[in-house]
Amino acid sequence: MLSQAVVKRLKEIVGERNVVTDKVGLLTYGYDGTLLSGEALGVVSPQTTEQVVEIVKLMNEHDIKLVPRGAGTNESGGTIPSEKSVVISFTKMTKIHEIDTENFVAVVEPGVINFDLQVELAKKNFYFPPDPSSFKASTIGGNLGECSGGPKCFKYGVTRDYMLGLEVVLPNGKVIQTGGRNFQSEPGYDLTRIIVGSEGILGLVTKVFVRILPIPRAKKTMLALYDKVEDASQTVADIVAAGIIPTTLELMDNLLINTTEDFTHAGLPRDAGAVLIIEVDGYPEDMDGQVKTIGEIASKIAKEFKVAQTAVEVDQIWTSRRSAFGSVARVRPSYGVNDITVPRSNFPKAIEGVLKVAKDFGVTIGVVAHAGDGNLHPLILFDQRNKEETETVHAAEQALCMMALDLDGTISGEHGIGLVKKKYLDKEFTPAAMEAFRKIKRSFDPSNRFNPGKIIDL
Amino acid sequence: MGVLADVYEMLNTCNKCGGCHTACKTYKLTGSEEMSTRGRIQLIKAVADGKLEPNQEYEDAIMSCLLCGECAVTCPNGVHGNELVMAARRDLKLRKGIKPFVKSFALNTLASPKRLGMGFRLFGGMGKSVLNKIDGLDYFRGIDIRNFPTAKKPFLEQVPQKITVQHPKHKVGFYVGCFLNHSLDQTAHSVVKVLTKNDCEVIIPKDQVCCGLPQYCYGDFETAKRNARKTIDTFLDKYSDAEVVLSACGSCVAMLRHDYLKLFADEPSYLPKVKSFCEKVVEFSEYMAKIGVDQSKLHNSTPLTVTYHDPCHMVRGLKVTTQPRQLLQMVPRVEYKEMFEANRCCGAAGLIQAFYHEVSTDITDQKTQNIKDTNADLVATSCPACMLRLQGGINKAGQKQKVMHVADVMANAYED
Repeated sequence: MLSQAVVKRLKEIVGERNVVTDKVGLLTYGYDGTLLSGEALGVVSPQTTEQVVEIVKLMNEHDIKLVPRGAGTNESGGTIPSEKSVVISFTKMTKIHEIDTENFVAVVEPGVINFDLQVELAKKNFYFPPDPSSFKASTIGGNLGECSGGPKCFKYGVTRDYMLGLEVVLPNGKVIQTGGRNFQSEPGYDLTRIIVGSEGILGLVTKVFVRILPIPRAKKTMLALYDKVEDASQTVADIVAAGIIPTTLELMDNLLINTTEDFTHAGLPRDAGAVLIIEVDGYPEDMDGQVKTIGEIASKIAKEFKVAQTAVEVDQIWTSRRSAFGSVARVRPSYGVNDITVPRSNFPKAIEGVLKVAKDFGVTIGVVAHAGDGNLHPLILFDQRNKEETETVHAAEQALCMMALDLDGTISGEHGIGLVKKKYLDKEFTPAAMEAFRKIKRSFDPSNRFNPGKIIDL
Repeated sequence: MGVLADVYEMLNTCNKCGGCHTACKTYKLTGSEEMSTRGRIQLIKAVADGKLEPNQEYEDAIMSCLLCGECAVTCPNGVHGNELVMAARRDLKLRKGIKPFVKSFALNTLASPKRLGMGFRLFGGMGKSVLNKIDGLDYFRGIDIRNFPTAKKPFLEQVPQKITVQHPKHKVGFYVGCFLNHSLDQTAHSVVKVLTKNDCEVIIPKDQVCCGLPQYCYGDFETAKRNARKTIDTFLDKYSDAEVVLSACGSCVAMLRHDYLKLFADEPSYLPKVKSFCEKVVEFSEYMAKIGVDQSKLHNSTPLTVTYHDPCHMVRGLKVTTQPRQLLQMVPRVEYKEMFEANRCCGAAGLIQAFYHEVSTDITDQKTQNIKDTNADLVATSCPACMLRLQGGINKAGQKQKVMHVADVMANAYED
C-alpha cells in the first residue's frame, strides 16, 4: 500500500483523476497479453515530461519502483507489476507534436497509438513502417520498449530502425535527449539504439522522433496455398535465395487459417495446409515483373497461387493475418506465444523443428510466422486451468527455444524478454555477455527502480 | 455466481490480446484500462472467480459501458463484451437492485405509460419555464435540456387507431416507442406520412407500452418481461391483422426482434409466440426499401447535402446500413456525404449520457466534429435518442446542421 502522503503528492503532480489506488483500477493494470498477472501499489498517468520527472523524484525519495506501461498488449510480461511497484501508464500522453514531411520525421508522445499515427500520416501520404499485429491498440512507446516488428520488417526493418531520437527521463530524474532530427549521425554512444528494446529498464521515454516514409505508389498482394506447412517454408527459402525482397512474407498454417477464417470470412481455403501472404511495393511499373518472378518460384511447389484483385480482398487478408493471435481462443482458451527467430536459410528446418516439438510433447501448435525474417510465432494452445497440461506447455516452450538456438537463432525476434523469456536468456548469451547486460543496467539504474526483474536479474 | 456462471466460458475465452481497445470509445477517450472492454471483462471474471467483491468502482466500470457492441465485432475470438457486461448488470441487479435511486426511478417511469406521459408534460410545461429562468443552465451534463423537445400531447392521443388509404397494399402495425410518442411526435407523423404515401394502411394501437429495453439494459428483466409480454400480446392478439410491426427506432426494433427471444428463453411455453412476433418486426428504412418507394412522388427543389449517422442498434444490432442511405439518395437534389466513423456511437447510449456525462460528452464532441468535416446541411439517422443527442451536441458546438430522422427527410419531399 502506498502511504497517504505519497498518494496525495502523486495527485498533486498529475491530478486527482490520474492516480489509481482502488482495487478495481489496480486489477486492470495487473495483466498484459500474457497469462501472467500482478498487482501494483498504484497507477499514475502523467501527461507531460515534467510530471514524469516529478514522479520519478518522488518515487526515489520513497524508494518505490516504477513499471512503465503503454497499452499492455505485449507478449513478454514486460508490463506486469511483479515486484512492489507503481505502474506509470503513458496512455494519456497522446500528442502528435509534429509531422515534418520535408525531413521525414514525426515527433510524438509515447502514448500515441501506432494506428492513430498511421491515420494522421496517411493524410499527408506518409506512413510509419513498423506495424506489429497489435498496431491498432499498441502505443509507440510500447513498440519501442519491445522493439516491435511486424509484417513489413522483411523489407523495412524493425522499430529500432525508425527511431531517430528520444527524450528520456533517467532513473535519477534527469532528462536527456538522444539523437534527434538528423539521420545517421549520433556522435558518441548510440544511446537511442540501447534504449529502444530495453523494455523500460533503463529510462522512461517521454518524446520520440520517428522516421517516416512516403507511402509506396503501388503494391501487390499475393497468396500462395500449400498442402503442407513444410512446402510453404521451401518457397520462403527459394524466394530469399533468388535475391527478392518482398515487403512481407507471412506464413499461417491450417489451424490459424481456420481460426482467423471463423472471424473474418476472408475466403482462405480451410483445407489448405498453409498459406503464404506475399506483398511487394514500389513503383507501378515494377509490380508486374516482381509478381511474375514470385509466381514462378511459388508455383513450383504451391498448389495454388493468386494475386488479390481488390482493395477489399487485400484488407480481408490482412485482417486475417493480424487477428491470428487473438483468434486462437476459439480452439483453446489459453496460448503460449513463442517468438523464436532463425537465419532465413534455416527457416525450413525451424518449421520441421516446431512440428517435431508438437509431436514429441503431444501439444497443439498453430504456426504463424514472419517467414521472410525467419521469425516464427508457434502458438501452443491449452487450458491454463489444467495444471498438468500447463507444465507440458512450458516444457515444449523450452524445447522450442533450444531448437532455435541450435539453428543459430534467437529466443526472441520482436516480443522482448520481459518475464516470460528471462529464464532462457543465459542459454543464448555467455556469462560474460550477461554480465555486460547487468553492468549497463546498473550504470543507468543503480538502485534497480525501473521495471525491476525484467530481462535480467541483478 | 449464477448469471456469471452461464457466461464463464466466454469470460475465459478473452485472452487479453487488447484488440478491443480500438473498438471501445470509453477507453479511447479516457486512456483508462478499467474503461476498456478487456478491463471490464477481466473485472467481471474476477467477480465470477470470487476474487473481487462488487463495489462502487466495479459498478462504474460496468455501468459506463455504452453497449455499442463494436467490441463484439472486433474481437477475433468472438467474445461479445457487450453481452458480458449485460450479464454483469443482471448479476448486480440480483445482488443489490438498481442503484442509485434516480436510475431506478427513471427506469420505472419509462416502463409505465402514465408516469412517463406525466413526466414529459411536467417537464415540457413547468419544467422548461423554470429552466429558462436559470442562467447558465443550458446544458445539464452535456444534454441540451432547454431545447429538448416535448410533444404538447402524446402522439398516440393525436391520431386515430387506424389510418386508412385509398388502395391499401399493406397493413402496417406501428410501434411508436416512447421518444416518438412524447418527444419527437413530428417524426412519428412523418413515418405515418411516408407509409400512407406508399399505400400502407397504418394501425396504431393506443395501448402500447415501452419495449422494455432500458430496463433490460440495467438487468431488470422482470419489468422488461412485463412490458415485452404486453407488447407481444397487444400486437399479436388484439391487432393481428397487421402484417408487420414497424418501428422507426433502431433500438426498439433490436429489442423487439432479437432481445425478446433472449428474454423469454426460459419460458418454453411462451417462446413460440415470441418467435412469431419477432418475425413480424421491421425497421422503417428496411421495410420501405423492401416494399419499394415510388421515387416519382418525391419532390425537392433545394439542394441539400446530407450525411447519415448509423445508430448502434441499427448497424450492429440489425445490420441495416444500406437502406437508409438508399432512401436518402432517392430524394431529388440530395447530395450524400459519408462521415468518418459514421457507424460509431454518438454518446447517447441510453442513460449513460446522464450518469457518465464526461466521457459521453467527449464522444459526442468527436461525432459533431466528424459531422462538421462533411460540410453537410443535414444529418439523418434512424433513432430518436441519437437525434436528440446529436442535435444537442451540434448546438453546443455552435454548428448549424439540422438533425432529422430518415422518415422526416422523406416526408418533407412529399407534396401534401
